[in-house]
Formats: sequence, C-alpha cells, structure tokens
Amino acid sequence: MRVLKLNSVTVNYGKYSAVRQIDIEVSEGEIVVLLGANGAGKTTTFKTISGLLKPTGGTVNFEGAPINGKSPDRIVQAGIVQCAEDRKLFPQMSVQQNLMMGGYIHRSKKTQLKESLKEVYELFPILYDKRDESARLLSGGQQQMLAIGRALMAKPKLMLLDEPSIGLAPLVVEQMFTSIQHINKDGTTILLAEQNANAALSIADKGYVFENGRIVIEGTSEELFSNDEIRKAYIGA
Amino acid sequence: MELLIQQLFNGLTIGSVYALVALGLTLVYGILHIPNFAHGALYMVGGYVTLLMMTNFGVHYLLAILVSMAVVGVLSVLMERFIFYPLRHSPPIQDKVAAIGILLFLEALAQLLWGADYRTMPTPYGQVVNLFGLTLTMQRIIIVITAIAVMIALYAFLKKTFIGATIIAMAQNREGANLVGINTNKVAMLTFFIAGALAAIGASLTSPINLVFPGMGHLVILKAFVIIIIGGMGSVPGAILGGYILGFTESLGATYLANDYKDIIAFLLLVLILTIKPNGIFAKGGV
Repeated sequence: MRVLKLNSVTVNYGKYSAVRQIDIEVSEGEIVVLLGANGAGKTTTFKTISGLLKPTGGTVNFEGAPINGKSPDRIVQAGIVQCAEDRKLFPQMSVQQNLMMGGYIHRSKKTQLKESLKEVYELFPILYDKRDESARLLSGGQQQMLAIGRALMAKPKLMLLDEPSIGLAPLVVEQMFTSIQHINKDGTTILLAEQNANAALSIADKGYVFENGRIVIEGTSEELFSNDEIRKAYIGA
Repeated sequence: MELLIQQLFNGLTIGSVYALVALGLTLVYGILHIPNFAHGALYMVGGYVTLLMMTNFGVHYLLAILVSMAVVGVLSVLMERFIFYPLRHSPPIQDKVAAIGILLFLEALAQLLWGADYRTMPTPYGQVVNLFGLTLTMQRIIIVITAIAVMIALYAFLKKTFIGATIIAMAQNREGANLVGINTNKVAMLTFFIAGALAAIGASLTSPINLVFPGMGHLVILKAFVIIIIGGMGSVPGAILGGYILGFTESLGATYLANDYKDIIAFLLLVLILTIKPNGIFAKGGV
C-alpha cells in the first residue's frame, strides 16, 4: 500500500526554487532513501512533508489524503514525524523530558507512554543511563539517538530521518543504521535523507537522487548500486 | 533589629510583585525572543480594571482581581494575535518597535478614558496586625501569600503538566515543538494570557499601597527588565530569584543608604551582576 506520495512538488524560497516538480512514492513498510549533496533539496523536501514549509506547487498525499497546507502539529497527529538534521531537541530538558515531549500527541494515554518509553530505552540503552542529564550535554551520537527516540514516542506510521549519520563517528553510524533497520522491522515506514549513500542503500528498498532541486535518478537499491554514475558520485567505489 | 526585620518584610512584599511581573515578561520572552515593552502597559491596565471594578461596580477586591486577570489576559492574547503574530517573520527590531507602539497607545488610551490623575485603590484589608512583634498591614501579608501561591501554582503547571511543558519546549526550540506535534499558535496565546494575568495580579496587589495612574507601569517594567537580565533571559527561577534580590536590595538600601536613591539601586545592581556574570545568574547554555 502506498503511504506517501509527492506529486510534482515545487518549493520556492522567494524567487529561488529549492525543489522543482519532484515526485516521490513511499509504500508501507519500506525504507526509501533520498541521496544528494548539500543544498540539493533533501531537507526542503522533508520540511515540506512535515508542514514546516508550504509547497508552491504540487500536492503531498499521506494515506490517500492531501496534507500540504496542514499545520505541522496536524501532520504529526496524522502519523508523520520528522527527525530533523539539526535534531531540534529541547536543550535544557532532561533526556527523559525530551522523550516525554515526543509523546505529546499521546499525552492522555499514560500506559502507552510508559510502554513507548521502555521500548526506546531498550533500543538505546545509553539513553536510559543518561535519562536525567540535560540533552545539550549529550554527545552527537547520543543526541541523534535521543532525536530518533523522541520521534518514536509519537508512534509514527512514517518517520522522516534527515541525515542521521551527519557528524558521527563511523562505528556510531553503523549502530545508527542497525537501529533504523530495527525500527523499520517493527513496522515503521522510513524515508531517509543521506549523503552516506553506501550505508543508506544497503538498508533501503529504493532511492531517489537529488541534484539542484530535481530528482535525476530513481530506482531500487540494486539498480542504484549498479549505476556507474551514482557509484562515482556518491559511493566512491 | 526590629527595623531590619520590618525592612526585610517590605523587601519580601516588593520582591513578590516584581517577581510576578518579571515572570510574565520572561515567559513571553521565550515566545517572542524580544523583551515585550508593552508588558508595563498591561500592568497599568490591570491596576485600572481592578480599581474601576471596585469603584464603579462595587465588586469585592478579590473578585475584581479575578476580572482584571481575565481582561488583561485577553488583552495580552489580542496583542499577540493582531500585532506580534503577523510580525513573526519580520526582523526582531520590528517586534520591538511594535511593542513600544503598544505601550504608548495603551498609556494614551488610559489617559483618555480614565484621566491622568493619581488614584488610590481602596482595600478591604487595611487592618494593622501585630505578628511576632512586627507591625504589618493585612494588605502586605496578602501580597506575599498570594504572590507565593501563584508562583508555586505556575511552577507546578510548567513542570508537572504536559500543557505547561509545551511553553518551556517552545521557548527552547520552536521547530522542535512543532515536530513533536505541539500547536505553537495555541502555546503562544496561552503564554500571553498567563503573562497578562500575572501582570494584572501584580498591579492589583500592589496598587492599594501605591497609586493607580497611566504611567504606573514605567518603573516597574524597567525593573522587571533588570530582573530578567539578572536572572537570565527566559529563566523562570531566575525571574523569581531576581525579583526578590531586587526587592530586598531596594528596601534595605532605602533604609540604610538613602530613600531618594532607592530606584537607582536596581540599575547599580544590574551593572554589578553583569560585570561578574555577563549572561545573568541563571544563564542558559547556548542561546
């Protein structure tokens, strides 16, 4: 079943088009990756899906209904949660408070929140050890785990992960991708933006390649892996 | 010794009012990221609404305060909706100019509607009581008790409820708040309402021992700025502590140094504290 469909979406910043007429489809249970250099339009696409930006043209459909034009909090309630590139944590709140805020839309369901909190701590045990520390004191990798954990607390149907590996040590990146796979196996559909094409394609079902605000290539992970241009440009092997 | 204790209690009274006003200012700072100069005008309107409810409608003092909280709270929300919200994508200087504009407008309006006279607010709590050898008026005791009760309630609301926590979350990261599904418009309106209501309580509590007039907010709001700068912009405990620090310094300074200079003390204190801790006592890491 198709969960998310972007139909010829264009987003302008003033006169400048950050993305132009892009089409993206994500089906239930998939991991789909958006590849591309900095400034290619991946983050703009994410912000448009999560409602922080409004598209100038085209439509964004989630589970068959248009969501472009809805406010960000309604989109979270609909089931799409974004993990932003710069994490957007609440720096002075403790780890646990950050996670609890992640469950804001389920605030009336106390037992479910406790259950979700337990699941997040099982996925990232380090967060349990640091639960009373304020978020700004965590390392980059831990902050990324917290951002993902906070997003999980909302029990999203679709999770948008914007460059989860940025600025992390190689070993931590590996752990991060294992965790992402784990989250996906538990039933969350994932749309991932990455520059680390090798790691991303190894866990993804399909991918889209962005260049200057347009999608230039799309295909399954195998197709992208075997595409010479992509190997040269993004995988470097 | 008795004089000292008497002055400490006075400090507690003044500090309580300062803390209430500064709390509203610091909460709104978390939303606007500029100091809201119009907060002093809200304080003034709060004083007038309570006064007029009592003198024109014969409403009891405590009930008049509740009406004043509601009226000023709504006024504060309207200010957010019609002035600050449309300016949300503008450079911060425009918010500042707008805030000063609101301040001037409301003061001129108060003068037009209610005149420029200094007016006294009657209180049913004028009795003098003797407590532990101190001579106190009931009004001052009520100021301290009410202010502390309000602050405890506010603190519990911010720390223990999801809705209260959204105010803190939004102050710390607005887009982050959006991404966890918080409706930031509602939070902004709630914050402005609380700030307005706090200003109204502060003004209504202190008016019986001061006076009600269109410019009554000036000195209070200037001192509230000093308080939130001392306490760290946006910090709730900082606003409370700063309020009391200023209250005590003022009342002790007025007694032991010179009464004429009591309003300068706030600013001397500001210079002193910022020299030692440039970011304020409760300064937050990062922004």
